[in-house]
Amino acid sequence: MLIRPVAEDFRVISFYLGRIFLVVAAAGLLPLAWAAIAREWGPFGSFLLMVGVLALLGVVGVRFGPEEPKLDWSHGMVVVALTWLVIPIVGAIPLLLSGHFVRPLDAFFDSMSGLSTTGLSLLSDLDHLASSLNFWRHLLQFLGGQGIILAALTIFAGTGGITLYFGEARDERILPSVTSTARFIWGVSVVHLIFGVTALGLVGWLALGFDLDRALFHGLLIFFAAFDTGGFSPMSTSIGYYHSALFEGFTSLLMVAGAMSFGLHYALWRGPRRAIFANLETRTILSTFGFTLLVTLLGLAATSVFATAVGLTRQGFFQVLSAHTGTGFSTVSTAELARWGGLAFGGIAIAMALGGMGSSTAGGVKSLRIGLTIKSVVNQIKQVLLPEHALVGTGYYQSGEKHLSPPLTQSVMIISLLYVALYLLGAGIGLAYGIPLQEALFESVSASANVGLSVGVTDPSMPVLLELTYMLQMWAGRLEFVAVFSLLGFIYAWVKGR
Amino acid sequence: MRALLRFVFLAVLMLPAAPALAQEFAVSQLLAESPELSGREITIEGELVGDYGFRGDGWMWTQLNDDVYVDHPLRDGIAPAGGNIGVGVRIPSDLAEGLDHPGGYHHRGPVVRVTGIWRHHDPDRQGESYLDVESLAVIEAGRDLDEGVVWWAVAVGSGLILTAWAIWWMRPGRDGS
Repeated sequence: MLIRPVAEDFRVISFYLGRIFLVVAAAGLLPLAWAAIAREWGPFGSFLLMVGVLALLGVVGVRFGPEEPKLDWSHGMVVVALTWLVIPIVGAIPLLLSGHFVRPLDAFFDSMSGLSTTGLSLLSDLDHLASSLNFWRHLLQFLGGQGIILAALTIFAGTGGITLYFGEARDERILPSVTSTARFIWGVSVVHLIFGVTALGLVGWLALGFDLDRALFHGLLIFFAAFDTGGFSPMSTSIGYYHSALFEGFTSLLMVAGAMSFGLHYALWRGPRRAIFANLETRTILSTFGFTLLVTLLGLAATSVFATAVGLTRQGFFQVLSAHTGTGFSTVSTAELARWGGLAFGGIAIAMALGGMGSSTAGGVKSLRIGLTIKSVVNQIKQVLLPEHALVGTGYYQSGEKHLSPPLTQSVMIISLLYVALYLLGAGIGLAYGIPLQEALFESVSASANVGLSVGVTDPSMPVLLELTYMLQMWAGRLEFVAVFSLLGFIYAWVKGR
Repeated sequence: MRALLRFVFLAVLMLPAAPALAQEFAVSQLLAESPELSGREITIEGELVGDYGFRGDGWMWTQLNDDVYVDHPLRDGIAPAGGNIGVGVRIPSDLAEGLDHPGGYHHRGPVVRVTGIWRHHDPDRQGESYLDVESLAVIEAGRDLDEGVVWWAVAVGSGLILTAWAIWWMRPGRDGS
């Protein structure tokens, strides 16, 4: 029997949502201050409005909450799913008021795309966008990539954190407590921020000849988008704007760091480092990256897109790395990417679909699931080929010896299949609108796997239903379904329960 | 009669040079036909945006946009009409000296007409594509863009923050009661 949620359930959810809104309101003070310093008074007003809405929602939520809130698993999942719906709506206020969007829904689309670290955009005239608004778009990617919930957990330690932590598509706890794990993740991020902004800023200033302030501006924004595998960029021509192999090199390092699980970061920092390459996930991602890179390079070579091997390797490598890490940067135009047919196109689409590591900022099916799926298929084949009573080893190494149990296999298969279904959903709706299969599938995978590479389907003139579908894909793909289904179940129980 | 003969003679002399005359393209067309136009001398017109990257090697890199916002910036109040359409341009530093501030939020950049060689996947630059500019003419100087404060947003936002602050301080238990 379905149990209808009672007032206390709503009060608990309201309390935690309120806390998270207050954290995001505090984050909103950064672009507000930026707008004031840059004398961008139009955006200043809109940021003030956004902070006001978040602050009021936050205070009312906490005020409405119980004295001693007790968060259970279902509350936690509902809080996560609602957070990832409401924050993009409120976060869209400054974007909407900027006048850079054809429809109000488009501003919500960009906000969702930013928070889910996708990088698809419907923004018009990016090259004249206020710097504070550009900063906000990229900060959304940073908040989304790190996890808003994680930010709240870092500040408000308390009961129920574990539910919220796992609800935000993180499946490993690096340190004994969730709060210390959250603080470790932020520590790693701050170190990368200092390294990333310094390196990119220096390249921009010394090698590319930008003014120092502009070099740091580009460095900061590209850091946010690369480390959080988001893919927004300050200029409309993405990383192609910089015309610099050195800039692409540092950006690539940050994309790799972003696609690595924080467990792997922990192993790199505090050892044992030898175990890193024994991990199933590391081996899987290296194999799939090598495979998709090879496929793409062969495809580009076969169609003679590039005149030299060096050009082919540099451009092919960057595009595949960007796709596999779920970042979505590009160094070629959308028109050119759409022309890359055959193997090259397929290689990039597969790289997007596979995605980065679990518990990272990347999207897609994730390497550990791919590795476990392959392992269970191989085990099945072995079982068939070996004598009837032979035992097939089910162990694998992932930060220690683990056992591939039937429930784990089932869980991995279900999530992987849900991703495939999500990819097909967007492609099907695209096809219904007359978009060619190849482009419809590419764009759908890009949205679902939170990548952001586009062949031109995502455009302000796109049908509203397709736009809504991509938003659903970005939301569900980022949260890896569980929190989304929990919210749907909660609503169903509210309506139909007793 | 002599003048006519001189004209015909000059016209005949110029004939071999005719195919080398730069053809004008829209940037969207350039991007669509990029491989076919590789190595050809072309002319494009548009706004310089972003940054002027003087790299100290005799070249300045920037981006040239050829879209609806060149003539009608959003800040002039027109409706948004999609993304930017731009390409990278490499301009000899001496041609780039003295250009107005590149386009951005506070400025509409200078509108220029540039002629140069289209480098599609240039082997010398590991596959980058850009226009290698040989000549540049400023069609329209850059200008500042006006900005208005959204007063209602300031007022409502301030009101909401004050309300939130008041509710926070009125919550029960703050004074131990």
